[in-house]
Amino acid sequence: MMDVGRHPRIELMTFSEVESVTGYVGNFQVTVRKKARYVDASECTACAECSKVCPVAVPDEYQQGFSSRKAIYLPFPQAVPSAYILNMENCLGNNPIACGKCAEVCEKKCINYDDQDELVKIEVGVIITATGMQVYDPTEYDEYGYTRYENVITSMEFERLICAGGPTEGHFIRPSDRRAPQTIGFIQCVGSRSRDGRGNPYCSNICCMNTVKDTLLLCDHYPGIEAKVFYMDIRAFGKGFEDLYMRSKEEGVRYIRGIPGEVIENPDTRNLTLTVENTTTGRLEKHELEMIVLSQGVIPRQDGDSIRKLLTLSTTSDGFIMESHPKLKPVDAPTRGIYLAGCVESPKDVKDSVTQASAAAARASILLNAGKTKVEAITSQIDTDKCNYCGICAKVCPYNAILAPDRKAEKAPIIIQAACAGCGACAAECPQDAITMRHFTDEQMMAQIEAILEVEPHKHLLTFACNWCSYAGGDDAGTARLQYPTTCRLIRTMCSGRVDEKFVWHAFRLGAPIVLVSGCHFSDCHYISAVRWTQKRMDRMWNKLDKLGIRPERLRLEWISAAEGQKFAKVMREIEDAVKAVTTEEIEFTMKVLAEEEAKNKAKKEKRKAKAAAEVTA
Amino acid sequence: MAPRETRFKCLHCGHEYTGTYDPDNVTERTCPKCRSNSVRRLPDVKPTEKK
Amino acid sequence: MANELTKPEELRIGVFVCECGLNIAGTIDCAAVSEYARTLDDVAVVVQNKYTCADPGQNEIKKAIREHNLNRVVVASCTPKIHEPTFRECVADAGLNPYLFEMVNIREQCSWVHQNEKEKATEKAKDLIRSGVARARVLEAQTEAVVPITKAALVVGGGIAGIQAALDLADGGHQVYLVEKEPTIGGIMAALDKTYPTMDCSI
Ligand code: SF4
Ligand SMILES: [Zn+2]
Repeated sequence: MMDVGRHPRIELMTFSEVESVTGYVGNFQVTVRKKARYVDASECTACAECSKVCPVAVPDEYQQGFSSRKAIYLPFPQAVPSAYILNMENCLGNNPIACGKCAEVCEKKCINYDDQDELVKIEVGVIITATGMQVYDPTEYDEYGYTRYENVITSMEFERLICAGGPTEGHFIRPSDRRAPQTIGFIQCVGSRSRDGRGNPYCSNICCMNTVKDTLLLCDHYPGIEAKVFYMDIRAFGKGFEDLYMRSKEEGVRYIRGIPGEVIENPDTRNLTLTVENTTTGRLEKHELEMIVLSQGVIPRQDGDSIRKLLTLSTTSDGFIMESHPKLKPVDAPTRGIYLAGCVESPKDVKDSVTQASAAAARASILLNAGKTKVEAITSQIDTDKCNYCGICAKVCPYNAILAPDRKAEKAPIIIQAACAGCGACAAECPQDAITMRHFTDEQMMAQIEAILEVEPHKHLLTFACNWCSYAGGDDAGTARLQYPTTCRLIRTMCSGRVDEKFVWHAFRLGAPIVLVSGCHFSDCHYISAVRWTQKRMDRMWNKLDKLGIRPERLRLEWISAAEGQKFAKVMREIEDAVKAVTTEEIEFTMKVLAEEEAKNKAKKEKRKAKAAAEVTA
Repeated sequence: MAPRETRFKCLHCGHEYTGTYDPDNVTERTCPKCRSNSVRRLPDVKPTEKK
Repeated sequence: MANELTKPEELRIGVFVCECGLNIAGTIDCAAVSEYARTLDDVAVVVQNKYTCADPGQNEIKKAIREHNLNRVVVASCTPKIHEPTFRECVADAGLNPYLFEMVNIREQCSWVHQNEKEKATEKAKDLIRSGVARARVLEAQTEAVVPITKAALVVGGGIAGIQAALDLADGGHQVYLVEKEPTIGGIMAALDKTYPTMDCSI
């Protein structure tokens, strides 16, 4: 930790949050909000005079509330930077007239009550996301009495109680009477591997070994202590883990297979009686313990959504950030130039976090060392001759990559190539068809639609799937070997926002029974908000179908994430009936109506053109 | 435009329900009955038709 | 558009059908699919491979491009999410613009999900290849823009992972910005007493 503070090439910005991110691989512009600290961190010598005089005492977060801190404080002795911070919410009314004691005693005069947040702009080529995890709050497991019984604690609280730098200076005591317990129980998988809707279904990875470690610490400090671990399975799979587990058993720690049903406190002794079905013996057992530690699981950071959205990252079904490929690209985010390290990607221990961080740094170095990179040629281009300056494209673009046109000056919109991410929403919305998406042109899309519907169109489900989510979801179904009907014929677009109305009309005109548009969930949209245009367009098309006397039910929409192979297969299975239900007459009628529509539109266009030509000559 | 009450219809299972629609902030729709996203916002009833 | 000028007069498409061992061939009749591909307009050559992505498979592609003077390449194999970059590079090696390459997914989205419907899966593979070939016909060569990379990194989060990543990058000579939400770095690990497997202190 100290090394980071000292490193000449690391600019440490603590008490800061990323506020905005724009740009693309190699060229990210980031705004960081440096929150007001009210203490000049570069000047502060951590002399502690200020906190001595501060009259406010609040529970200390770092010590899990076991002790208190002042309103102006050092988070913990080894903090980096080694500087105090003033919490304005705790400070006496944010009013120096009311108190102001700390500023009086600060010799270096580094306390400033008027300190303000500062916005700092930085430019970087790569971003490593290491926002970490959070521990599970076991309150909802009411049967363990965490909120009711003082001597039921969590594993994080255990850490503070056993720590020499903790509130008890390493004397392990139970909270109710500050006595060293002789018997202690650990309950595993609290909030993990749960199937009853509480907590999470996944294994939190670290809690088994953490408990093994805890029991060894106890046996070491307090020989003769009786420790029991209640578990489902002990997962000691890592290098050296089995050794520790065996050592713990040799020290006399009892491992009892079974997750307790309830914990009851004896109000006189404050001891706890735990009831458990020992699944090895099949017997119901009761254990009296002086203290119980809940081995809490790991969950995704609950405040991680904003950074996730800023970096357009998605999550897997467990809520952790999704990697580019679970096996081959585990530290790359799907967006180029962004990497993942540590628990943000999945629960892991220190060693794995360090390993992954080094891997992410190495991956990032590849780009940084290369100094340049190629970007895919899938951006949009405008045909200024076709443009009639309506300006819709500029409004649509989620990246503000299009400079709005000027109708009076007859200035067409300008697309900033470097800023365009290639979603194609503008091309789909442009009423003049003036925008071409490179590598996903109208012509290319139409050719695919026509080819698919060339043979037995009435039997097939034409599906548009976006590259990042639904297409990946389809791949996920494949990897999991989920079986579904063979009806589906898929066309890939970068974003569902690219699916132009005319693609859908063309498909129906060629005899498609059902057309399915699929894309990312709104929160996962790889193009910030392009998916909103998909939704709007769908409403428009449903209304038009209705008007034309075609059942809107034949145009479907599903949001499928890259991790939702299950949903992809389910949608395919469920839609099968709908495909079969469309009759030949219905399809013929649709084809006729749409052919007429097309003819009408063409005539209209010709007329307009003729009129415009006439105006020009006149 | 302000958010307004509107009727939604699920094109998968046929379920109809009332919800709010904000044209300035289009959000993800899911049929409360069958979880499908093929949820159509039914056109607003025109005032003339109400009479 | 400038691209139109680069459109060659005569289309010569090569189709490469991958068996992927038994991953594809176990469900799809690859020989029938190849046979079908030969009947499509503008298809100059069809090659069936055991593993198209492996070196021998890639060499087949390069060889075919040279021998048959191909100006479009369609590979029917796995998902483009894995091997599109591989094949783009491969065709570029043989002198073809990588954007004149098209990939058809007959594994993740066909053979693996229709394992019990071999005939129908084969039909689907044909349809998908027909669609891929149709798209290939109208593909246009593109030039990729080369962008410079700002030689600095942002690390978001100052826990053990962020610290390690920042140090590694900085030690490697790069400028690093380490942004941490809390007043100090250290994250959750700073609150742990000892950590396994070494059982030593964490800070
Ligand atoms: S394709 Fe998307 S990102 Fe590019 S200009 Fe159009 S709307 Fe903007
Ligand atoms: Zn429904």
